[in-house]
Amino acid sequence: MKLDLSGLQSFPSIPGSAVDDLGEDLFAAPSFQLPACSDFDGFQKDAIQMVKPAKGTTTLAFIFKEGVIVAADSRASMGGYISSQSVKKIIEINPYMLGTMAGGAADCQFWHRNLGIKCRLHELANKRRISVTGASKLLANILYSYRGMGLSVGTMIAGWDEKGPGLYYVDSEGGRLKGTRFSVGSGSPYAYGVLDSGYRFDMTVEEAAELARRAIYHATFRDGASGGVASVYHVGPDGWKKLSGDDVGELHYKYYPVAPTPVEQEMTDAPAA
Amino acid sequence: MSIFEYNGSAVVAMVGKNCFAIASDRRLGVNLQTIATDFQRIFKIHDKLYIGLSGLATDVQTLYQRLVFRHKLYQLREERDMKPQTFASLVSAVLYEKRFGPYFCMPVIAGLGEDDVPFICTMDCIGAKELAKDFVVSGTASESLYGACESMYKPNMEPEELFETISQALLSSVDRDCLSGWGGHVLLVTPTEVQERTLKSRMD
Repeated sequence: MKLDLSGLQSFPSIPGSAVDDLGEDLFAAPSFQLPACSDFDGFQKDAIQMVKPAKGTTTLAFIFKEGVIVAADSRASMGGYISSQSVKKIIEINPYMLGTMAGGAADCQFWHRNLGIKCRLHELANKRRISVTGASKLLANILYSYRGMGLSVGTMIAGWDEKGPGLYYVDSEGGRLKGTRFSVGSGSPYAYGVLDSGYRFDMTVEEAAELARRAIYHATFRDGASGGVASVYHVGPDGWKKLSGDDVGELHYKYYPVAPTPVEQEMTDAPAA
Repeated sequence: MSIFEYNGSAVVAMVGKNCFAIASDRRLGVNLQTIATDFQRIFKIHDKLYIGLSGLATDVQTLYQRLVFRHKLYQLREERDMKPQTFASLVSAVLYEKRFGPYFCMPVIAGLGEDDVPFICTMDCIGAKELAKDFVVSGTASESLYGACESMYKPNMEPEELFETISQALLSSVDRDCLSGWGGHVLLVTPTEVQERTLKSRMD
């Protein structure tokens, strides 16, 4: 199977430009070097194990009357260790499309940026914005060509195009699904529980944002690998807008305020004899 | 993840001026899923002796019940409470009895000995005692706890300051661990009183 490296071509070299050697390097198409070893498959397997991403996260997105809501937590964990509580898991591909990050952070960041580049090129070549369907298909085809090589990407592409709001789930196994409600990551079962029971198509933006926030909060409570800050974005006809970024530790006490417990026995001063 | 990380735990004990504090987190989980946020890990043996057990939750409960049983027998025979040093030797012996099929627990023992001198020690799961003069830690967050305690600890702290220090050390360490946290439980023991407090912490 020939590797599809078209995803790595940034722009064609300008013909006839009077450049020196530096220019040639600048305009050469980027390429990935393959390791020069005898056991290429074994090396791949070890490399995959080393980067072993556990998809410890909670991200969700759903379509409703007013557009798409996209929400995620912000924790990065390596096994039991929390490596960061402030990771940006909602990636801004362009002003009207968002992607979520689950799986390997480097993989998601790189390929979302690459997708943004290709979307912009499409706009310039066709004088119109790319549809969400098209963008997700571009990404899915790239990821399919790297299938089995250890990329770990579980992303949702959400945007607003001529047909209205669009939401696709794309993963590194090569799957691409169109849908109205998705949640990805180790905390997704908990998020689905809250999301599915509270979802209505005709919600206002505030109600939808609150539902998304609650779903992420409940996932961070139950799942050890999710936590930090619950970010909520809304994608409308004019593009995306960040609605809120609440620290989940504070959200807990907002939803479940501490009630003063009745004191069973309190020490008081002995009455003076 | 290993068997010690199955349930997730964090226990720490610190020595102050004529007092000691012992603290633990309150999470009970099954791998990444949180099951309960009110799990008790610190147990009273007698008024001036407490044991905190980290590791597999079922072994925590069973080991505690066995140790209380042994201590009650001791009380009946000797007509007095056990000294902390003696109790530590007892725990070490009980753990080594199971050398080839151990309890998956790492105990932290804290007590006031003769003349109310504070005593703390920790053990590995087969009973190797490690005495310390300042603080001892145990659990999935132990590496973070070592760092936090090392930097926050001062000798001869008064009870209020000791409470503050141990709480901050515990909370900041479990905030870097996926498997422990969800609340904190601190016991501060002086010769005259025992203060028990629950900490308000991040629940993620």
